[in-house]
Amino acid sequence: MSFEATLRLMEVLLGLAIAQQSLEHLKPGQLAVNHRVIFAIRLALALSMVLGYSAPYGMYGLWVVALWMLHRFQGPYNGGSDKMTLLILTCLCLVEVAPDQYWQEVALSYLAVQLVLSYFVSGWVKVMNPIWRDGNALRDVFRYSAYPVSEGFRQWADRPGVLWVMGWGVMLLELAFPLALMNPIALKFALLCTAAFHFANACFFGLNRFFWIWLCAYPALIWFQDRIF
Amino acid sequence: MLTSLLRVISLLLPALIPSWRFFKTVAPSPRVEYRVIGGAGARDWQEDRPRPRDISVAALLWRMVWNPDWNEQLFLVSCAERMIEEPSQHSLDEILTRVARLLPVGQGLLQIRLVFISREGDALVKTVEYECEPVPLSRIKGGVA
Repeated sequence: MSFEATLRLMEVLLGLAIAQQSLEHLKPGQLAVNHRVIFAIRLALALSMVLGYSAPYGMYGLWVVALWMLHRFQGPYNGGSDKMTLLILTCLCLVEVAPDQYWQEVALSYLAVQLVLSYFVSGWVKVMNPIWRDGNALRDVFRYSAYPVSEGFRQWADRPGVLWVMGWGVMLLELAFPLALMNPIALKFALLCTAAFHFANACFFGLNRFFWIWLCAYPALIWFQDRIF
Repeated sequence: MLTSLLRVISLLLPALIPSWRFFKTVAPSPRVEYRVIGGAGARDWQEDRPRPRDISVAALLWRMVWNPDWNEQLFLVSCAERMIEEPSQHSLDEILTRVARLLPVGQGLLQIRLVFISREGDALVKTVEYECEPVPLSRIKGGVA
C-alpha cells in the first residue's frame, strides 16, 4: 500500500471512529448543552475528514478538541481508546506538518511501532505475572471486575480450564505479534486475530471504542511492514 | 491558565508515549453505591446502574456502534479510581451528577460511596473506601455534567 493510500484509508477509518465516539457523547442528558455543541462540531469535522473535504485543517481541529476533552474530563473519558485516538491524530497531524517525506514516514512509523508495542508490552506484563500464568487473572476479571456487561458473563469465572486456555491464547498472540512483521501474509493473519480479540473484548466487556480505534491504526502497520521488511 | 495548560500537557504525554500495560494486574474493582436520605424518594444503599442479568446477541452487536450508557459507566469507574488515587472535586462532581441524573427529582439528600471488591483467597471482599457528605438532590439536579 502506498504512503498516500495508507494516509487516506486511515483518515476515513479515523473519521468514522471519531464520528461514532462523538455521536455517543451527543446523547441527551450526559453532558451540558454547550459541551454537546463541541461534540457536534467534532462530529462534523470527523465526517468532513471521511469525505476528504477538510484535510488537514479538520484534523488539526480534531486534535484541538481532543485536548479540550482531556481538560473537560480531566483525563481520558474512555481510557486506552481515547489515548489511541489522540496518538493516531497526533501522528497524522505530524505527517501533515512534516517538512519532507522522510519526517512524514518517521511520524507514521512511530504509530506503527506503538501499535506493535501495544500488543507486545501488554503480553509481556501479563506473562511476567503469576496470576496470569495460572489463569486466575482472567478468572478475576470475569468474577468481580467492573467490565463484564452482564451478570451472566460472570459465570465464565466458573470455567477455569477454558479461561486458562483463553488467557494463554491472548498472551501468546500478544507476545508473538512482532514476529508477524517478518511476512506480509502473517501480518494480515495476526491483525485478523487481534481484531477478533478486540471484538471479543467489545462483546464481553463493552469496549466497543477500542475495537474501532485499534483498527484505524492497522493500515500504518501494513505500510510499515511493506516499507521496512 | 498556566496551571490548566500544564495539567493538559501532563495528561497528553501518556497518550503520546503510552505504557500499554493493560490488565497488568486485576486491581480491586470499584462500584458506585448511593442512597437518598429523606424526601419521598428515600432509598437505602444500592448499586448505581447494576448490570442486567443477561444481554442478547442482537444487543451486543448493536453496542458495537451505540454504547453511550456503558461507556459512561466505565467513565464512572475511572472517576471512582481517581477519587482514591488522586481525589478531586471534579471526579466527585462527575459521579454525583451522573448518579443524580437517573433519579427522580426530589427533596432528599444524595450520598454516594465507593465500594471496592477484591479477592482474598477464594472469597470476595467488599471494602468501602470513600463516602461523601450528603448533598441536596435539588442542588445537583440543577445542572448537567
